[in-house]
Amino acid sequence: MNSSTELKQAPSEYQSNLEILMQIPMFSGLPIEPIKLLAYLCKREIFRPGEIIFQQHEVDDNAYFLIDGKATLILENDIEEEISEFGESAFIGGLSMFYGMKRLFTLKAATQVTALMLSREKFQKTLEQFPDITSKIFEGLVKTIYEWEIRLVGDRDPDCAKCRANIGVTLV
Amino acid sequence: MMITKRPLSYWVKTSNLKLQIILLFVILITVTTRVIPLEMQKKIVNHAIGQKKLELLFWYCGFYLAAVIIASGMKFVITYLQTYLGQQSLARMRKEMFEHILQLPLSFFRKTSSGLVVSSLVTEVVTSSEFVGQAVAVPVTNLLTLAAFGGYMFYLNPLLACLSLIIYPLVIAVVPRMQRRSNEANKERVDVTRQLSSKIGETVSGIHEIHANGSYHIENRKYSGFVDELMKVRIVWTLYKQGIKTTNNFFQNLGPFFLFIVGGYLAIQGRFDLGALVAFLSAQDKLYDPWKELMDFYQTYQDAKVSYVRLMEYYDIEPEHPTEPTDREAYDLKGAIQVKDLSFTVAGGIQLLKQVSLDLQPGEQLALVGFSGSGKSTLAQCISQLYTYTGGSVQIDGLEVNDMTKKDLARNLGVVAQSPFIFDGTIKENLLYSCTAMIEDGDPEKEHRYPSLDEMIEVIQQVGLFVDVLRFGLNTLLEADQEAELVDKLIRVRESFQADFGQELADFVEFFDEQRYLYFSSVAANLIFGNPNQPEFSPNQLTNNQYFLEFLDEAQLKNPLISLGRQLAEQTMDILGNLPPDEMFFQQSPILADEFDDYKTLVARGGAIRLHEFSAQDQHSLLKLALRFVPGIHKIVALPEMLEKLILDGRFLFMKKIQEDHPGAISFYRISEYIHSQTILDNTLFGKPRTDHPKSQERINQSIIQLLIEEDLLERIVEIGMNFRVGTKGDRLSGGQRQKLAIARIFLKAPPILIMDEATSALDNASQKRIQNLLETKWKGKSTLISVIHRLDTIKGYDKIGVMKAGKIIEMGTYDELLAKKGVLYEFIHGAKASAQ
Repeated sequence: MNSSTELKQAPSEYQSNLEILMQIPMFSGLPIEPIKLLAYLCKREIFRPGEIIFQQHEVDDNAYFLIDGKATLILENDIEEEISEFGESAFIGGLSMFYGMKRLFTLKAATQVTALMLSREKFQKTLEQFPDITSKIFEGLVKTIYEWEIRLVGDRDPDCAKCRANIGVTLV
Repeated sequence: MMITKRPLSYWVKTSNLKLQIILLFVILITVTTRVIPLEMQKKIVNHAIGQKKLELLFWYCGFYLAAVIIASGMKFVITYLQTYLGQQSLARMRKEMFEHILQLPLSFFRKTSSGLVVSSLVTEVVTSSEFVGQAVAVPVTNLLTLAAFGGYMFYLNPLLACLSLIIYPLVIAVVPRMQRRSNEANKERVDVTRQLSSKIGETVSGIHEIHANGSYHIENRKYSGFVDELMKVRIVWTLYKQGIKTTNNFFQNLGPFFLFIVGGYLAIQGRFDLGALVAFLSAQDKLYDPWKELMDFYQTYQDAKVSYVRLMEYYDIEPEHPTEPTDREAYDLKGAIQVKDLSFTVAGGIQLLKQVSLDLQPGEQLALVGFSGSGKSTLAQCISQLYTYTGGSVQIDGLEVNDMTKKDLARNLGVVAQSPFIFDGTIKENLLYSCTAMIEDGDPEKEHRYPSLDEMIEVIQQVGLFVDVLRFGLNTLLEADQEAELVDKLIRVRESFQADFGQELADFVEFFDEQRYLYFSSVAANLIFGNPNQPEFSPNQLTNNQYFLEFLDEAQLKNPLISLGRQLAEQTMDILGNLPPDEMFFQQSPILADEFDDYKTLVARGGAIRLHEFSAQDQHSLLKLALRFVPGIHKIVALPEMLEKLILDGRFLFMKKIQEDHPGAISFYRISEYIHSQTILDNTLFGKPRTDHPKSQERINQSIIQLLIEEDLLERIVEIGMNFRVGTKGDRLSGGQRQKLAIARIFLKAPPILIMDEATSALDNASQKRIQNLLETKWKGKSTLISVIHRLDTIKGYDKIGVMKAGKIIEMGTYDELLAKKGVLYEFIHGAKASAQ
């Protein structure tokens, strides 16, 4: 079945979600069936500039893909400290799909942000239907963490003793 | 005397005496009228028929008839009185048992399931009360009747009378033996029924666990075990009961045998006239009923006795504390708490608390921290008299807690339990629960009446429930003839809402606009654009509505919509086709979970065929799907632009047509009219929210609240929201809302002592902080607080902190003291920090 040739119309939101998910490393190695289900289950949300996407210390069960716009990651300790900025195509919160954690940071929309959101509940329902994909997803996840740490090791400041102790997350 | 110590006869003695006397009187009349037909019978045969006197025949028959009518009427009166007495004592038994059960200690309920209590109060008491209803009337009526007939028989012929009465001593000798067996079986039946009820109660309360584990077969097996056992016991019991009846019948039927033999012989000999024999036979026959009723009564009595004794035995426990003081008013305490060497040992010699001591001045606040199982909650519950401690002492204002009555504590103590119970009813009823209990209990401060609306609103604001209640209010549907004034105001609010916030909220709300397509409403709603006033125009009836179908044809919409429906069905099947139908998967498709299989086969049938080749029924199903399509939610298919335009044009055609053909069938969405099928919120918005994301709800709320404040409607809506029904056990509220409600009802009561057992565990950070702030500002110095705490970040503000381990307080002091000491609390806090990093 191919609906787009039937009516020659703009693709549905589901179809563009499908294309997005296939780009995300965590899902890219998966067969098409589970990706279809995920594309169907996820939702889009618009955040205006300055709006909080998730809040430090609060439990947040979503993963986000930024379709459009920029968001700032903030650490709130007495003062607000800006950590980094996420732009278009950033994928945030993949680990929340497996464990409900309190956010250690706040994510705030810097410009108008359109995000694709997937909740843990829906993700877990998908895993229930396609249990075989778990290992693939882990592979994608671990690879991302691994690449992160490579960068971390490269960027490390040799004079900072504390930073040294903080390295090694890939050894867990 | 405690209800469980009363014998069954107590209920007979204390039943309505006046009625019992009336009943006896009625019985006397009845018995007399029962003998008359017999005498008439004899007279009719001997005098009227024998002497061929017609006039006498009419007279006698007249008497006969009158006697029968009076007897029947009296029988009805007896039954009525008997039922009334029985039901009255049933109601009394139920009420008094319930009152007793309510006061039983918590430990009793730990071993007793709710199912058992239900079966006791609902079914077990019924047999006993049946007996009470019959206790006077039945034996008296029937014994008198027996005596009357017996006497009459002696008057006719003493010899025959002796012969026909000889069977009864036999019956009396045999029956009680059988009844004993029957009682044994009945006892067993009561026990098994109880186990069965407990099992059912347990299953219902544990249904979450059963569903989660898929353990249906385990539960079925356990349940079936009890059912089978009950079946066997009931068969045995019924056999004995019927055996008694049969034996009785057998002896009864032997009676005429003697009569025929002896009576017949005497009549042939001419020593006994025929009329007398007929009367005798009738009298003998009449003995049957009263005797049978006596036997039934005997059985009812025996069954009632067994059930009653069993019932009372089970609940024969003294309440640990009297409900209220008899010789004084309930105490008004200041709230100084002194615990000394407190210990609490449960069955099996397990010590839950060991030598706990603490001292609190009125208004002081204590936090209890420690591992789970260290005795924090147990300590709190001992202080609140929920557990009766086994050693040491707990004193409030120098008075021993174990010696106080329930009322003393209820008046001075407020407890928020770990998982508070919310009763079925409205938010308001739950909010006032503690206050109502106190006020109706005869609070000495009469002016301390029910809290005002303002006070209630203040307290729900304090605990952070205000927005929730407001939301309930906003989600209320107003009936067409209700709150006319409010409706007018709301329409005004709607207009200002659009003017003030229309621009700003356009991202979050899709306003109803005649000129535009509504992406967050269904195709059907887009066409009808209003509220059906006739059922045939309601959304799920449209595909059966010939008028509407003809309209679709005229608007050139039928085929495009069927095509859309096909696309929706195919796309859904492409994604979900091979998955089990799980409710969650259908939130974003117009296909409902229970229609899944039908559409699956429809799509499979469809294959490569053309639209017109579908059967009429399939086309109908596809059209139904298309009419449900909401583009903003069902993202699997994009709404083609051309179809959108067609539907929009169709809307105007429909409006024109329906106003001509069926005026009044639809109330169109007009900014000047209230839509009664929509909530207050949707009416104010005059549109639909685009997403369910909390932030947009928040945004909409803020705007609406601002406006409602300006229009002075906020309190009115909150008041409506307080009438929201929370459902059984409050299941229509979230865990957090339930906790907030429980805290609010205690704050509203404002007792001198507050006990909070992890009272904020289900709340989000912000609410937790707000309540903590409130405790530190509003309640400090006012109420003594004992708070069992699971999160260490809220303990700084407490006057004292007690750290518990294995039933003991191992550290006690202020936050700073304990930290400086670098003891267990220090380790807790820093350990927690270290692991969070």
